[in-house]
Amino acid sequence: MSAISRRYRRTFSTGLALALPLVALAACGGGGGTDASAEAGSGTGTIKVWAHQGAASEAAALQSAVKSFNSSQDKIKVELTLIPDNDYTKTITATEAAKLPDVLEFDGPTMANFVYNKKLAPIDSYVSATTMSNATDAIKAQGEIGGKHYGLGMFDSGLGMWGNKKLLDAAGVKYPTGLSDDWTAAEFTAALKVLKAKDADGKALDLQETGGYANEWGTYGFAPIVWSAGGSLIKDGKAEGALDAPAVVSALKTFQSWKPYVDPNTDGNAFAKGRVALSWVGHWMYPAYSKALGDDLVALPLPDFGNGPKTGQGSWAWGIGADTKNAKAAGAFLDTLLDDTNVTAMTTANGAVPATKTALAKSELYKQGGPLQLFADQLAKPCGDTDITKSCVAVTRPVTAGYPVVTAKFSEALNSIYGGADPKSALEKAARAIDQDFSDNAGYQLQ
Amino acid sequence: MKSVERAPGAPHARDQAQPVTPPVTSVKPVRPARPARSGRGNRDWLHGLLMSAPALVGLIAFVGVPFGYAVVLSFYNVRLGSPLAPSFFGLEQYRRLLTDPDLSGPFLRALLNNLTFAVVVVPLQTGLALGLAILLNRKLKAIGFFRSLFFMPVVFPMALVAVIWRLILARGDQGMLNSALHAVSFGNWGAFDWLGDGATAMASIIVLSVWQGVGFQMVILLAGLQQIPTELYEAARLDRATAWQQFRHVTLPGIRGTLVFVVMLTSVLSFRVFDQVYVLIRGGGLDEDATRTVMYQAVTTAFDQNNIGQASAITVVFFLIVVAMTIVQRRVVRPDNED
Repeated sequence: MSAISRRYRRTFSTGLALALPLVALAACGGGGGTDASAEAGSGTGTIKVWAHQGAASEAAALQSAVKSFNSSQDKIKVELTLIPDNDYTKTITATEAAKLPDVLEFDGPTMANFVYNKKLAPIDSYVSATTMSNATDAIKAQGEIGGKHYGLGMFDSGLGMWGNKKLLDAAGVKYPTGLSDDWTAAEFTAALKVLKAKDADGKALDLQETGGYANEWGTYGFAPIVWSAGGSLIKDGKAEGALDAPAVVSALKTFQSWKPYVDPNTDGNAFAKGRVALSWVGHWMYPAYSKALGDDLVALPLPDFGNGPKTGQGSWAWGIGADTKNAKAAGAFLDTLLDDTNVTAMTTANGAVPATKTALAKSELYKQGGPLQLFADQLAKPCGDTDITKSCVAVTRPVTAGYPVVTAKFSEALNSIYGGADPKSALEKAARAIDQDFSDNAGYQLQ
Repeated sequence: MKSVERAPGAPHARDQAQPVTPPVTSVKPVRPARPARSGRGNRDWLHGLLMSAPALVGLIAFVGVPFGYAVVLSFYNVRLGSPLAPSFFGLEQYRRLLTDPDLSGPFLRALLNNLTFAVVVVPLQTGLALGLAILLNRKLKAIGFFRSLFFMPVVFPMALVAVIWRLILARGDQGMLNSALHAVSFGNWGAFDWLGDGATAMASIIVLSVWQGVGFQMVILLAGLQQIPTELYEAARLDRATAWQQFRHVTLPGIRGTLVFVVMLTSVLSFRVFDQVYVLIRGGGLDEDATRTVMYQAVTTAFDQNNIGQASAITVVFFLIVVAMTIVQRRVVRPDNED
């Protein structure tokens, strides 16, 4: 251990101590900085497209859409990359804007965060006017920030209460026929009591609790209770007063009181096997449920907590990368992707609600008089994410860059309420945490 | 400068630089062949450094540097993927963590849960492992089969084990445990929510973690047991020692070092508990508050809420606590090097 090496060591560690913070800050601060600089380009050449893998049938529908687009003309060539669902959002979060493709898919509620991070460009001037006007109002509401549209979807989603007609009639329970004669929360609770008395194991309801509620399903599936009670997850950038309003607290008390009637549904077959008469879940269970129940399956709206029945909406959507040099070609590809042929192929593959007016009108399942008409009716009355009135039904999850925290805190509170925590203190805590985060981030103002 | 009896790693530079004339005050012991020793000492030191280099480099690159980052980041308001530049926060993250009721509540609860887990699991798992090791330390036909049977859960990933136990502990009356109890109690047992009830949530986690991990400690202790010479047992039997006395005075002293090592290992591992909690909260209706651990808190803060600064502060506080505990533990149970 000579003096020299000791001096070296000291220099090295001092250098390290000085360099570390700089490197750390450089590494974390490198997110934004560049302005969204989408260029229209010539409208010809190769464009890169990223999409989530989805189910095998969805991937196949997308691949065939790309193939037919490439073979139908010779000006634009699309290169499609599929990324597994679980890593998709993380991949986009971790990729800097300059390295993102010309066209990319994203999950609806994550859009605002990507706009905030300058990863998406407005699409209004690149897709055709017909494409824009043919999109359903609900899907437009999901894609809109500050009057500009950043995304459009091929399909939409919705929630409903699936009922087993045979079991409901046997118990003599009255149930609604559509949105107009919806049941109130009190009527719904009474129906549960009646069903429980008639049921062998005393369980009458499925709330899809297998995965817990501390996740996106918790927010998507049960935020409608908050909206239907007249509250909202966040109002004018503040959760306090909106999320912990007295009406919301008492609505979630009611939700908590249902737990004794709920089948844990560990096998995922509670409703299909006829163990419960009611299942609170989305349109995506239709294929499995209709196969199991046939004509005994009815689609009912969620119970009304005073501010009208509500449902969540929104799903995967398509946008244009902020740094694309060929936005015109990207827009042309989106026009093709959102035409009737491709939307119908995709929604046939995944059973989702078509998100264009023409494809919706043609849909066997969702047209007027079809078995899933309720979901189309709900989406025909969109609220957007702020103006939640009594008459509208389909509410968009908050379009804000702070959404990751909103959903994390709300679903955490919901999960603990379902587990027996006091709704008032759980919601107040969530609201305070959300507001704290918004103030730390200067309200997530778009710059 | 104490006098040095055995050659330490390196001769001190000051000693070498000293003139040959001894100081008058101290009576210097005669040290023959000093230069040769120092040469060898130098070489030893170099060899030691070379041999430990791979481990040291890995430790610095994968633990030291990231932890340095974490300390720095905990003084800033840093977000994943935010266009805002990180702003200096000073001690705000720590203030929130320790005094803000909304944040410190869950954090202190997580610390308490971690402690509870460690305090219960370390003695329980070590004792159980010792029992199993003694049970399997005999000459039997197909003993290898039994040993691998007990070792099997260790091979399964914790996430898989958590999913299996989710089915065992499911809250409905179709849950395996509930239906077993139902059968045993002649139908007097209703459905109980093992994971969702705050009173039993932590106990459930402890049980499944011990079941998964005990085989590993068992194998280590088994190796320790097999090193005890059989002559000692024979001698003890000649002295008419009972089975308990044999265990107390032959077995335990024989595996003392192994036992201390196992206790250390189990404590360190028990602070890292994360997988089963994460999997079961996300997919098994586990009561979050009763089982949230510090690692869970850090991971969800960083990657679900994008709050890197806060998560860094959590890990720094936790690191300090774990280091303090490890030091105390080393003081209390010092492994004897008999050889």
